[in-house]
Amino acid sequence: MAHDSHSGHHIVSQRVLITVFASLVALTVLTVITAQFVDIGVLNLPLALSIAGLKAMLVVTFFMALKYDNPMNSLILGIGVICVTVFLVFTLFDTAFRGDMPNVDSQTISDTEGRNLNQEAREAREESAGAQH
Amino acid sequence: MSEAVATAEQIHGHDDHPAHLQHHFVTSDQQFEASKMGMWLFLITEILLFSGMFVAYTVYRVWHPEVFQGVSSLLDWRLGGLNTIVLLASSFTVAMSIHFAQKNNQKGLVINLVITLLCACIFLVVKYFEYTGKFSHGIFPGIAYHPHGDYAVYDIPYAGQFFSIYYIMTGIHGFHVLVGIGVFIWITIRAIKGDFTSAYYTPVELTGLYWHLVDIIWIFLFPLLYLI
Amino acid sequence: MSATQTVGTESGRSVSAPVNYLNHDKSIKGWLYTVDHKRIGLMYLATVSIAFLVAGLLALAVRTELFSQGRTIMDADTYNQFFSLHGIMMVFLFIIPSIPAALGNFVMPIQIGAKDVAFPRLNLASYYIFVIGGVLAVTGILVGQIDTGWTFYTPYSSRLGAPVLFLTSAVFIAGFSSILTGLNFIVTIHKMRAPGLTWNRLPLFVWSIYATSIVQVLATPVIGITMVLLFMEKALQIGIFDPALGGDPVLFQHFFWFYSHPAVYIMILPAFGIISDLIGTFSRHEVQGYKFVALSSVAIAFLGFLVWGHHMFVSGQSVVSSIIFSLLTYLIGIPTGVKVLNWVGTMYKGSISLQTPMLYALSFLILFTIGGLTGVMLGVLSVDVHLHDTYFVVAHFHYVMMGGTVIAALGGLHYWWPKMTGKMYNETNGRIAAVLIFIGFNVTFFTQFIMGSKGMPRRYYDYLPEFEIYHMISTIGSFLLAIGLFMAAGGLIASFWRGKKATSNPWKSLTLEWTHTTSPPDPHNFHHTPIVTRGPYDYHLAPEIFGEPGGDGAVVSAQPDTDPVQQ
Repeated sequence: MAHDSHSGHHIVSQRVLITVFASLVALTVLTVITAQFVDIGVLNLPLALSIAGLKAMLVVTFFMALKYDNPMNSLILGIGVICVTVFLVFTLFDTAFRGDMPNVDSQTISDTEGRNLNQEAREAREESAGAQH
Repeated sequence: MSEAVATAEQIHGHDDHPAHLQHHFVTSDQQFEASKMGMWLFLITEILLFSGMFVAYTVYRVWHPEVFQGVSSLLDWRLGGLNTIVLLASSFTVAMSIHFAQKNNQKGLVINLVITLLCACIFLVVKYFEYTGKFSHGIFPGIAYHPHGDYAVYDIPYAGQFFSIYYIMTGIHGFHVLVGIGVFIWITIRAIKGDFTSAYYTPVELTGLYWHLVDIIWIFLFPLLYLI
Repeated sequence: MSATQTVGTESGRSVSAPVNYLNHDKSIKGWLYTVDHKRIGLMYLATVSIAFLVAGLLALAVRTELFSQGRTIMDADTYNQFFSLHGIMMVFLFIIPSIPAALGNFVMPIQIGAKDVAFPRLNLASYYIFVIGGVLAVTGILVGQIDTGWTFYTPYSSRLGAPVLFLTSAVFIAGFSSILTGLNFIVTIHKMRAPGLTWNRLPLFVWSIYATSIVQVLATPVIGITMVLLFMEKALQIGIFDPALGGDPVLFQHFFWFYSHPAVYIMILPAFGIISDLIGTFSRHEVQGYKFVALSSVAIAFLGFLVWGHHMFVSGQSVVSSIIFSLLTYLIGIPTGVKVLNWVGTMYKGSISLQTPMLYALSFLILFTIGGLTGVMLGVLSVDVHLHDTYFVVAHFHYVMMGGTVIAALGGLHYWWPKMTGKMYNETNGRIAAVLIFIGFNVTFFTQFIMGSKGMPRRYYDYLPEFEIYHMISTIGSFLLAIGLFMAAGGLIASFWRGKKATSNPWKSLTLEWTHTTSPPDPHNFHHTPIVTRGPYDYHLAPEIFGEPGGDGAVVSAQPDTDPVQQ
């Protein structure tokens, strides 16, 4: 039972674990330095997130041993990450562009569509819009 | 029910059937792989749980970038950084504990689990001092956000949103750490009793996966909340 | 759970009936602590049936109130609460767990030739978590007035009192149960299949449960965090969703629909699976386009995550996102159409027998097609702006949820009833009920399409005189529908006393639960793990499999077990 190395039981060596841990600490120091002491303007945010992403990759690959694991588990993680991305990006489609419809108050409606509407309908609409304000 | 079946099998002299193998699995490997896959599925539900808060953070940050950048400097990056290192270390030791379990090294397993447990506690202690420090300046989540004294200048619109998100994110993360501590206590006791060998260490493996995920969440929380 | 208890009951009973999962341990403890997926499935079935009954009675009350203009039987506040409770209970306590947790739990592990699900104790835990969620929901209902509708839109919901706290906790907890069931099923389908049961040989019900489980695992955590945030909004006033505190109510709708749109696929996907099995079995014909039907479920599961914004076309979200969501919504029509075409193709040149389950399957085809096509209409941005929040929407989702899921669940329940209970229900009664349900349903809800397109807004207590005739017809239909449902339920329940004993395979189906287990099945499902050598719908092989006319093709009869270790 000393060396049990059948599928799914890969032993990650101590050397690898120590190297990964050292890199993680180094990246933490790097992200603090770049964010707190060196101002790189608009790149601050992407850089910090890239470093965080890299750290997460290291943890997932070696500490969680996905590199040596059943590919199905990597697929599961991938699908989860894609879902989060969809959630974030599709919500931003709304929140980042909120109010992108051209102004729709009664004035603009009659400006763009007034020719096709008969006079009474337009007046009725403006009246009711006025009543709401 | 499982006991009844195990009894039947003992009667029939199936001594190649290990004690940890449940009756509805055919092999230990099948059971191990199934548990691990279940854990990974659970982990993505955790990721999606946190994703809601990350989305809220992003939306409000996009709407009010200057507020979020401004008030994030209220959080002490030294304490956050310390906690990052502590959690990374605990992640490392938990990976080491699995390594030792796979090599049947009982002592290495227990020592690393205990260190992990200690790191988790240190994390929560640091968090406690951070929270109380903030509370003492009137920095509360939600409507109770009323910074006073030196911090009064931070009483600006949407700063409350930042701290609401901060408290909820770190609070739920802290809750996960707390759950982790509970599980590690249980695992450590079992390890001391010698329940785990290279043939069966599934609980250590699964707890390890959970703990790494808690670490990963913090890896993202740290820069988003403390640094930028 | 002790060994002595099990042994005791076994020796006490070995006199007459063969061992099955119902009679091997009749104690209350044997049910409450069971980890047997079949018993847990039945416990779910009982629980969701109660929820369906209560929520259905609420719907009848709502319909009765709408029978005539003005006050009919209740005041406006009660009406608001009744339709809210109807929605909340139907969605969270009935429809979401109905097919996956009740029928799925019972059938799926047997269909894949497993002794149990991968994590039996987790399965039991998820049942109790569901019960806790249900109890909390009922407490919330008793504590106070919930009239938010099932969607809990902020800021109204976050300003209501304590009942919302109960309801959000209830949804959060019930969501946990849903996650654990989904997780359990995915692992079971991946890791527990019998030898020879490749992905291409899985019954389509298993495929649909698989797709459902993916959605459950990926979407449900988001409603969890949404409920946490809503809870915090109420408890601490954190200002994420309430505009008065600087929050954004539309953001809540994003959060809510990121779960709740995929959740409608949690509700409908398992129904697709049942219908595939029913149409294959009762047409005696291989399901046409097996791979397309199977993979379209998975495609719907993933596409379902990209379209949630079509619930928000009039919410004030950006036009860019409305356009994107509208376009993506059309895509859902493709895999759905693939399914409907293949079901029809399966029946073509099949030898169709119109037994009760098949009647439900045919009802489903008609009703779901109407529901699905009106769904595409509502996905059109410009059309939705007019039809939004009218009875057209109400009719659409009842055609999908009730005409789709509930009808399929009834079909599945009749189909697997002999396997679950060992008793045959009364076929005549079953057929009459099925037809009555079909007629009642259409009278109720087709009328609502018409009044919706004429502008009758949903959720209103009162209406203009020109809508009265439609409301009257709709209410009369709902009573027909209720009579049909009670008849169906009565027929099933009466079978316990009056039903004939079911053979192992009364429908001559080819999936494992019929060919390799007794009715009702053994506590461990199979005497020997089956080895699968053919597809689930190879009805062209039927003469070989079933032998002479009259044989039911069951590999196991009620013989005493030979090798206990194999169990």
